[in-house]
Amino acid sequence: MNAVQPQVEGGSAALRLFGLHKVFGEYTAVERADLTVAAGSFYGLVGPNGAGKTTALSMAVGLLRPDEGRSEVFGVDVWADPLAARKLMGVLPDGLALPERLTGRELLTYLGQLRGLDPKTVAERAAELLDVMELAGDAERTLVVDYSTGMRKKIGLATALLHGPRLLVLDEPFEAVDPVSAATIKRILNRFVAGGGSVLLSSHVMALVEQLCDTVAVMAKGRVVAEGPLDQVRGGASLEDTFVELVGVKVGGGEGLSWLAS
Amino acid sequence: MVGVLIRMKLAVLRHTIAGPKATWMLTGGLVGLVIAAGTIGLATTDAAPGTVADLLAVTFAIWALGWMLGPSFGGDPVLRAEQFAMEPVPRTRLALGLLGAAFVGVTTVVTLVAFTALVVFAARFGAAAVVVSIPALALQLTLVVLLSRLAARFFGALARSRTGAAVTAVITATMMVLSQSGWIVFVALDVVLETGFSRAFSLTVRALPSGWGVVAVEAAARGDWLWVVGPLVALAVLVALLVVLWGRVLGPQRLARPVVRGSSASSAAKWADRGPVAAVYVKEVRTWLRDPLRVQGLLVAPVFAILSGLLPVLFGSTALLPFVGAITALLAATTTANLYGQDGTALWLTLMTPGTELADVRGRQLAWLTWFGPLSVVLTVVGTAIHGGLWPWAIAATTAVLGGGAGLVVLVAVDQLVPGPDPHKAKNSPLEHGDVTGQGFVTLFLVLGAASPALCVVLAGELLDLPLLAWAGGPAGVLTGIVGYGVLGGLAAKRLAARGPELLYLMRAGKEHEAALSAETSVIKAMSRHRRGLLWTSFFIGCLATFPQGLVPLGMKLSGEIERVWFLALYLPEGLQWPVIALMLLIGLSAFGLAGWVYLVESRKLKARLERTAEERERVEEPVAVG
Repeated sequence: MNAVQPQVEGGSAALRLFGLHKVFGEYTAVERADLTVAAGSFYGLVGPNGAGKTTALSMAVGLLRPDEGRSEVFGVDVWADPLAARKLMGVLPDGLALPERLTGRELLTYLGQLRGLDPKTVAERAAELLDVMELAGDAERTLVVDYSTGMRKKIGLATALLHGPRLLVLDEPFEAVDPVSAATIKRILNRFVAGGGSVLLSSHVMALVEQLCDTVAVMAKGRVVAEGPLDQVRGGASLEDTFVELVGVKVGGGEGLSWLAS
Repeated sequence: MVGVLIRMKLAVLRHTIAGPKATWMLTGGLVGLVIAAGTIGLATTDAAPGTVADLLAVTFAIWALGWMLGPSFGGDPVLRAEQFAMEPVPRTRLALGLLGAAFVGVTTVVTLVAFTALVVFAARFGAAAVVVSIPALALQLTLVVLLSRLAARFFGALARSRTGAAVTAVITATMMVLSQSGWIVFVALDVVLETGFSRAFSLTVRALPSGWGVVAVEAAARGDWLWVVGPLVALAVLVALLVVLWGRVLGPQRLARPVVRGSSASSAAKWADRGPVAAVYVKEVRTWLRDPLRVQGLLVAPVFAILSGLLPVLFGSTALLPFVGAITALLAATTTANLYGQDGTALWLTLMTPGTELADVRGRQLAWLTWFGPLSVVLTVVGTAIHGGLWPWAIAATTAVLGGGAGLVVLVAVDQLVPGPDPHKAKNSPLEHGDVTGQGFVTLFLVLGAASPALCVVLAGELLDLPLLAWAGGPAGVLTGIVGYGVLGGLAAKRLAARGPELLYLMRAGKEHEAALSAETSVIKAMSRHRRGLLWTSFFIGCLATFPQGLVPLGMKLSGEIERVWFLALYLPEGLQWPVIALMLLIGLSAFGLAGWVYLVESRKLKARLERTAEERERVEEPVAVG
């Protein structure tokens, strides 16, 4: 950690992507994307389905090898020095598996031990996280594989928080989550940012991003088409209108389908 | 409905032909056709008709068992009832449609070819018997397709609970032993062809539905029309009943959420201060107990090994008992080598905690050894004690296979990963998995290879009549085992660290990422790992089958100087030696052919891709930076 500290104090960004580029076969998923998540900001990445959000985030955190470009967490290169970089961040990928045949507490204990945390700290944090996420009590008799979607998101967030990261990278944290669980997650994220942490989340729910984030970026067809403070990006209009305009697609659903409910 | 579903299945097959499965489909099809040709060959055997009928009935029973076992290895069928749950189609129509679609496939064609043995058999009795044999053939084929689908459904439903998975495992292992042991009959073929089978045996194989077609054809030859119509009607009724039953079970499946005891805060903390290897170890040991797919893996190997060992006891031989432990370990490695593929995308957690790759591999190895090590050792000791001999062989085999297996299981799991559905997405059909047949064979060959040095030591000791050297096979097995565990495990961890993101991508996308190419890329490097594995495996099998198992025994037979050593053909009865040599040569040449074909196709593909990229580059006009 010591080697990292000076750069952080030097005011470098929590996360910077430099020209990340990824081609699958003949399909360009992400085209030279640059992003800067300032330390202490709550950053929203929005874009339609297939815009390349998940691919960009996977490359940013080190789960997918980019064809070109770099990613830095507090100035530490994710691909050159993965060990240091990954101590600084917590990640919640969308829809990936976990060690499914463990209970929530067993999973957190396993991860803490794997990361080499002190057993006492792990036990305390696991208990607290399970309490806050409402995964304690009866839920402890359920294996992760049998969790509902909302419970999966919450245990995923708990695994991302366990080692006390300074940056959270969350892919669609609110997808298919019920309002009560969503409220819990929002509260936790707001507390995390208020305490000096930085959050980067992706979503296609505009209202949610407007409500939570101070900075936004818009992705479309693999490119970052806009980035900046929320008010600046959306101008006077709502984020949704700006988004539709930026993405440059005509909103479907106006014509055709004449047979529907007629 | 039938037409729609068949077209759908054809479309899916067309797409798979481009994928890595295609090569296995082709190899499987080739091997299947060879076996089918063998089945037809049986029908032409020069022996009493009753004996040939017995042989055919056994063979058809083995084919039927094979069909029932198929789904538990080959993964789920392409079209499943669940996919049509929301379509307003009556269940019986859906059942008929899915049955029609189930007929479309390489396996059905192969089986159809094999079953024409019935027509060939009937031909020796004249036109009437041939006329009878054709509906019998159609009914028999429908029967095995239906049995296969029902078995898949039945096992799938059972497997949702752990007890069910255990029951499935025992049934599967028993059927494997039965379908295999059927071939024991053929080892004694020479004798049987002269003396015929025992009456009880004849009655049993004819009583099985798979033998009813044979009964009808035989009756037609005798002109006994009651026994012609009877079995055919019975077959038709059975098929109809099975169709109805299948329509019934296609309905929505009942679901139940399992509940576990879990760990209290204090018990979860009990192991928490032992470091990352212990963390992975505890997680793995729990997973082996809680995951139905793993529970099945835990049981199939020992049950198969014990039954295989006991079967010769029925004929008064205990010679296989000392090896029950080694077979357990061997089969355990073969059937559980998809450790990473089974866990699905959970690999991301290992990637996010870098530096833990070795711990992950070691934890998995230790857990594997915990479940299969003591079990194999106990089985070996008990088996060898009962047999009262062969100690050096048994000890060397068990230790070498255990160590080599513990190393190879993880190495193959990383290197030959077969992507399957993520466990949480398939929680209602937990036995669903990718097609691990190819991976299983690779592991089987490699583990046998790892065990051979120790066994060679024992063999040398026996041949040179040096008991001390024979006994040294045990320590040699331990030594190669430790080396296998250490080196291969280390290699697996290195590969995992180097290729982690690519493996994760493979599990996410279900296919490999196309790498960037340059003109210097060699064909072998550019092809996908599946193709490369297939190329080397078929080359290896080609060498093995053509030279030592084909040409060498051929030369010996011609020169008359016969040394059996390990030449399979020379151990068989005289009548079978030439056919087996021919079969080996055929297998060897087709394997070489397959390897050559893979190479040609891949080099053509690479050339086309290079040309395409070159064109694109010209169009862009700027050089693409290589990062």
